[in-house]
Amino acid sequence: MTSTHLPSRPNEASRAASALLSAFRLGAGQTLAGWPVLVGRCIFYVILLIVLSALWDKVVAERLPGTLAGELPAGGLALYIGVTEWITLALPAVHLKLEDDIRSGGLEPHLLRPKSYLAQTFSQSLGAAMVRLGALGVTALVLLAVSGREPPPWEAFAYIVPLGVLGVVVGILLYALAGLMAFWARRTLPFQLVIQKLMFLLGGLYAPVTLYPPLLEAVAKASPFAAHLYWPSIQAIVTSREGFLTGLAWQGFWIVVLSYACLSLWRAGLAKVLREGGV
Amino acid sequence: MSAVITIANLRKQYSYAKRGRGLFGGFSPQHVSIEAVDGVSFQVERGERVAVIGPNGAGKSTTLKMLSGILEPTSGEASVLGLTPWRDRKALAYRIGVVFGQRSQLWGELPARDSFNQLRHIYDQDKAVFEKRLGEMVKRFALAELLDQPVHRMSLGQRMRCEITASLLHGPGLLFLDEPTIGLDVTAKAAIRDFIRDHARDHGQTVLLTSHDTRDIELVCDRVIVVNAGRVVVDQPTDQLRRRFLGRKIVTLLFNGAQIVLDLPGVTRRASDAHAVVLDVDTRLVRVEQVITAALAHGGVEDITIEDPPMEEVIHDIYASAVTTQ
Repeated sequence: MTSTHLPSRPNEASRAASALLSAFRLGAGQTLAGWPVLVGRCIFYVILLIVLSALWDKVVAERLPGTLAGELPAGGLALYIGVTEWITLALPAVHLKLEDDIRSGGLEPHLLRPKSYLAQTFSQSLGAAMVRLGALGVTALVLLAVSGREPPPWEAFAYIVPLGVLGVVVGILLYALAGLMAFWARRTLPFQLVIQKLMFLLGGLYAPVTLYPPLLEAVAKASPFAAHLYWPSIQAIVTSREGFLTGLAWQGFWIVVLSYACLSLWRAGLAKVLREGGV
Repeated sequence: MSAVITIANLRKQYSYAKRGRGLFGGFSPQHVSIEAVDGVSFQVERGERVAVIGPNGAGKSTTLKMLSGILEPTSGEASVLGLTPWRDRKALAYRIGVVFGQRSQLWGELPARDSFNQLRHIYDQDKAVFEKRLGEMVKRFALAELLDQPVHRMSLGQRMRCEITASLLHGPGLLFLDEPTIGLDVTAKAAIRDFIRDHARDHGQTVLLTSHDTRDIELVCDRVIVVNAGRVVVDQPTDQLRRRFLGRKIVTLLFNGAQIVLDLPGVTRRASDAHAVVLDVDTRLVRVEQVITAALAHGGVEDITIEDPPMEEVIHDIYASAVTTQ
């Protein structure tokens, strides 16, 4: 029974992938096990969409020339909000898990395991997010059918789904950055609030960033917050292959940058814990 | 026998910033250092079951953390299963099992089976080997009913059985246990102790355990290392230690009549008030049964409690003894 089992190097990659896949399934399983919470999230999504689409429909209906309302695309804003909220509500609170584990010492059992805690946590969060994306996506489609609203072209869905999934990845990485600050700040709420506000302002949570003045629009579009929300959502009102590819490029860029930032913070924080025994 | 753990002059110094006085004290903190482990050295042979005990803050958990690789020492050397723990943390993780009595390694919302399965992937275990080991544990620990139950719905005793199972599924040769029976009832404690002892004996596993419960030490371990103020003060077989230091019981009598006075050899009064008397009983001179019989004969006894001396007292005795023999 006390056999030693060290993995051989050629199999390391496949074993690491297998552990990550298992963590992904675990996250999905945890979310499904808490199905009443998932149902509550879908109900909240419906309420949000009813209220916000009514608001934007009224604003757009005015269409006063020379005003902000005059710049908005008719009818599509409800669909835009539907996508931003689909992504936002699918995000798990990875920052809270990281903060809790780091502050409470709950990290210790994980450090005694041969696989990376950060990679496992990310994969688990992604599993949870995918179940939520699925449930909220079905809710959105049902609501769209019931509302009688004109749906976006079919190709829009083919663009929105991959961009939405990658948008969730960007969102998890942004919140993970906030959570990892617990190594130094203990309380991550201020970082989380800053990220949330930037998602609102630069990500275009309630309206496309194309409404901003040109310079601000360019800055917003190049930010990780737009990669999280704007690029997937704009496909609901301006469906284009170019927009899809541009969004994909920005998302790829930010996933690499944010992953590196998370990894750097993790390594620095881990070194601190191994040296000082806690935070 | 071969050494599984060898540590030499291991030291760990913590430092923290102490806030200065006054409104702006935060800008001029004082840095304070604490010597948590101060030159600890010992060896543990393969198959030994060793308890590391000591009062709170003695340095036992810090030592355990350094040996499992999750804390770097300030200085000194250690070899665990041929590896340097803080340099080879991940490689060592495949070969050790760790149980924290106050921390769970399972996923609360999910059935225990899902946690075990996740651990199989984390430890790269072959499915057939894993299933065989899990089967043995399920049988030995009566886990069949628990496997499909969410961990957060389990009692503490049930959860601890699952925690120990989780720590053994990858077949570690060395098991670290930090307060494995803390908070458990008498029956659950007995089950955990029996399992740890029998499993280690049957599989030639080495165990390093910390606990404040003297029964954990007596029933599981064959050697005790006592640390105090970061130093090893006693290192000897459990039998010898028991004979030297665990030959006492504390008997508390609650009564509603006249003050109870017992004139028996080996019985001394520790404290008393109008309705209670606390007696220190030296079991080498008088049996507890004799004390109880004498108290009942006196009449008016409402309640009786029999306890081991507090660990702090045992440690104090050991430490005092160690100081006088130096």
